[in-house]
Amino acid sequence: MASPKELSGPAGNTVIGPSILINGKLSGDEDLTVRGRVEGELSLTRTLIVEPSGVVKANVSVKNAVVSGVVVGNIAATESVELTRDGRMVGDIRSPRVIIVDGASFRGRVDMGELPPGRPLPERPRTQVRPAVRAALTPARPPVLPPRPAGRAPGPAFVSSRPAESAKAPPAPPPAPPTVAAGAKKKIVVKKKR
Amino acid sequence: MANTVIGSSLIIDGEISGDEDLVIQGTVKGKISLRESLFVEGSGVVEADIETQNVEIAGRVTGNIAATDKVELKSDCRVVGDIKAPRILIADGASFKGNVDMDVKG
Repeated sequence: MASPKELSGPAGNTVIGPSILINGKLSGDEDLTVRGRVEGELSLTRTLIVEPSGVVKANVSVKNAVVSGVVVGNIAATESVELTRDGRMVGDIRSPRVIIVDGASFRGRVDMGELPPGRPLPERPRTQVRPAVRAALTPARPPVLPPRPAGRAPGPAFVSSRPAESAKAPPAPPPAPPTVAAGAKKKIVVKKKR
Repeated sequence: MANTVIGSSLIIDGEISGDEDLVIQGTVKGKISLRESLFVEGSGVVEADIETQNVEIAGRVTGNIAATDKVELKSDCRVVGDIKAPRILIADGASFKGNVDMDVKG
């Protein structure tokens, strides 16, 4: 009981090193840090951290996910999903909290589930969304959009609104959720070169 | 320092391969192939065929082991399966059932 400490760092934390490939099903009750590759299925009751060298091609169900590497597949989180500056993801996200910071790239759906009372329903967000966000998304609302292609408009608009802040730390929660929630029913494409 | 640890509450069902040391404190079923060392610690349970350079076992392993260098069964380990390696060490207290093949040329 006393011996299994000598080789590992802090107990209860699993690390998949950069040259390791795991193909199959992975489940557990502890934090998992991926620096290598995991393919298949991944379910944890705690936090998944995909580091910049990490690649996860799997359906993921966790409590929290922090993606700084590559994820291809769907993530269902009971608490939060965060795509950091280096994060790249293709797949759907289902989580009550979704954080996408400047520099992250993401293609897929976002589902934040039942929104808490007091917020507009996801069905018709266009009726009463905060004016600040609306203004940023569609500046003039002309019938024909000027040179900017429609598909890329949301990306630059909401990431460039506060670039300095989000570069240092995750942006304050209030601005991010409504932005993503407004597009929750559509496909969201966030693509930004650094 | 590139070290991979499978923590004690983790269960992996599938294949693990890689070029670095792997420490197993949890459960792995399937197959493990490495070009470095595998450590199965006291809490580790492996039900898999293993191909590595070195193996050190203090936990439980069920499956065949093929090592290019060395297999070491520590005391308190439980191993069921065949072992093939040029060097095989079995410590006092280890429990083992299976064939041993050190590739002795007759």
